[in-house]
Amino acid sequence: MGIFLAFGLIPKSHRLMNALAAGNGMLHLVMSCVALSMLDLPERLGETLYLDHLNLYVELITSLGFTAAAFYARGYTDSLMEAGELDPRNLKTFYLAFNLLLVTATVALFSDNLALFWIFAELTTVCAAMLVAILSARENIDAALKYVFIVSGAMLFAFLGLIFLFTLSEQALGKGTLNWTELAVHASEFSPALLLASFTFMFIGFGAKAGVAPFHTWLPDAYARAPSVSAILSGLMQNLGIYGIIRMYSLLRESNVAPQASSILLAAGVFSIALASFSMFQQRNLKRLIAFSSVEHMGLLLIGIGIGTPLALFWALFYMLVHVLVKETLLFSAGILHRQYRSNMRENMWDVFKLQPRAAWGLILGSIAIVGMPPFPLFPAKFFILLESAAVSPYLTLALLLMLILAAASFANFLLKAFSKVTVEEEKDRHTIRTHVEAGRAELKTAAEKADHDEIRLPNKYVVRSGMRVPAIFMLALAFALGVYFPDSLRDLLDAIILELGYV
Amino acid sequence: MIDPTFLEGIIKILFVFVLISAGLIISTRNLSSVLTAYTIQSFLLAAVSSLLYMIDGKNQLLLLAVLTLASKVILIPYFISRIEQKIKIGRDLHFAYLEPTPSLLLSIGLIILSYTFLSGVFKGLPLSKLFFFGAVIGLSLTLMGMLVVFSRKRVITKALGYLSMENGVLMFGLFVTELPFIIEVLIIIDLIILVILTTIMAVGMDSSIEEYRQKFRKLQIWTGGESQ
Repeated sequence: MGIFLAFGLIPKSHRLMNALAAGNGMLHLVMSCVALSMLDLPERLGETLYLDHLNLYVELITSLGFTAAAFYARGYTDSLMEAGELDPRNLKTFYLAFNLLLVTATVALFSDNLALFWIFAELTTVCAAMLVAILSARENIDAALKYVFIVSGAMLFAFLGLIFLFTLSEQALGKGTLNWTELAVHASEFSPALLLASFTFMFIGFGAKAGVAPFHTWLPDAYARAPSVSAILSGLMQNLGIYGIIRMYSLLRESNVAPQASSILLAAGVFSIALASFSMFQQRNLKRLIAFSSVEHMGLLLIGIGIGTPLALFWALFYMLVHVLVKETLLFSAGILHRQYRSNMRENMWDVFKLQPRAAWGLILGSIAIVGMPPFPLFPAKFFILLESAAVSPYLTLALLLMLILAAASFANFLLKAFSKVTVEEEKDRHTIRTHVEAGRAELKTAAEKADHDEIRLPNKYVVRSGMRVPAIFMLALAFALGVYFPDSLRDLLDAIILELGYV
Repeated sequence: MIDPTFLEGIIKILFVFVLISAGLIISTRNLSSVLTAYTIQSFLLAAVSSLLYMIDGKNQLLLLAVLTLASKVILIPYFISRIEQKIKIGRDLHFAYLEPTPSLLLSIGLIILSYTFLSGVFKGLPLSKLFFFGAVIGLSLTLMGMLVVFSRKRVITKALGYLSMENGVLMFGLFVTELPFIIEVLIIIDLIILVILTTIMAVGMDSSIEEYRQKFRKLQIWTGGESQ
């Protein structure tokens, strides 16, 4: 990995930098596959490196998302530079932060020690903030600063939680430790009140990293402002937070404060879903819509973890994978539309099917997948999590279902309004859609009045570079494949994780 | 050898000053005095750490004191004062949710809250009185720092609030336990802050002062959300 970073500094050409980033992602992908199939897990390498099924699985998701984003980044950054939004001198910094993000996330995942995990998780925050700020527009720096302050501030609380945990282990074992493995063995001996306090503090930190409400406020801005990196934010940063939460919760399952901890998770989950689905409903900004949908999904994941049954955890883990696949499809397509219209706002989108038919279909299919329609694999995941939530309380299930429907409706609302607008030129050929056109024209007029200059015109067709479409299609196809066929190896892997975490 | 009880007495006096400096960071409107308050607070932290070293004799504490002195008393304040000179804004008059007086009252509430919380949680632990107070001060410093991050609008003041949160966490760690990683953590956080500050600087360097002030006026988080 170090080699890739070192090489990343040398090249002058964009193509080479991009190839290195993609190679970096591929390397991680291949290595985690090899480790999954060859090693006898769980395996400990050296003092601090620890491999088990859970962190390898998360690493697999991370590097998959990263590789796709790396392929996508080439065309995207090219067109950003053409448009003058990205300073070519910053390109090197961009790729440096991009690669560093994967490396730090990997080290964080594989470290057995909680403090190391904390440190590297903080470093990923810095790298991601650099990626958000790279466009050096005012709003980007706003978003990046907001991101750093909220996440790092919350992570300081997680550090307080670490101190609690360390004291606890010192008290119980005579010698303080922060190793997952040792803590997991002795968790039942710890004083419950202190353990719960430590869990709560850690949850604040990791929850902020995952974008769980009420610590999600950085997320919409970062998603809306960031270039294609927001795809990695969902694929990598949020899963890192969820990973920490899963680990902490499995520690707590051993002690007798587990019910309180899971009620914290459930409450945060319900709150996230509620807040996200209500904010999505009248959302006119495409990327913010997708961002709030991320918050919603993190909430659902928390509920899956918080229910605490093996089945719920199984589907929550599966959910993590599929969510990344589908979310990246959506963000990649949205990125293409953003290049086309130079805006994420609904009212600036015209003739989508004429100008960017594939991106439009990517968005439509992606939305169908993300709201959990049957052929796609989010359907069984959502279905079983909801089914299991009925064991906690049927009202919970009902409320969740209603809010999920609201979220689905807001996707439909957005797509219908954004994609049904056609410009006046097409009126002659299409008499049937006259009403739409008239509505469109009226809106066009008001929008033109608002923007009062050349903003409103039929934009030239943006030529999508082939590298930008492939990852979106690939991710969607993979999601679809997982929906129709559930591979046995994946099931075995997820079962092994659940077994290792001590769920029986 | 100095008498440990005498040293403990000094530490207790320093606690009071730490709290006063936190109160100043919350309430002062003048940017340079906020910076001074922060510098003094960090210096107090270094002093507490070195006094603890005199009692305990652990080398780690001395290292922590030296690092704090180098980064938080010298390097970061120097950076921030340079930025303050550049942006030519002497005062931070804007408070988002709370005016200084209510937030001072609130911070008294936070101190009481952290006292009751910690006395509940630490019931079973063999902590001496001094160390317990240190933990309370640390936790309330963290919470007060959070209050600053929430209630101030300027990024510079927010950064200072975040830094004083970090001081609180370090203080807490210093007194509750001997965490082997605390020094690495200190370095990481300082790194983050330096990245933030250089980002702010970088925006300013590219344009003239006038433009920069314009930019900086808009560089207020919490309000820049809805545009795009």
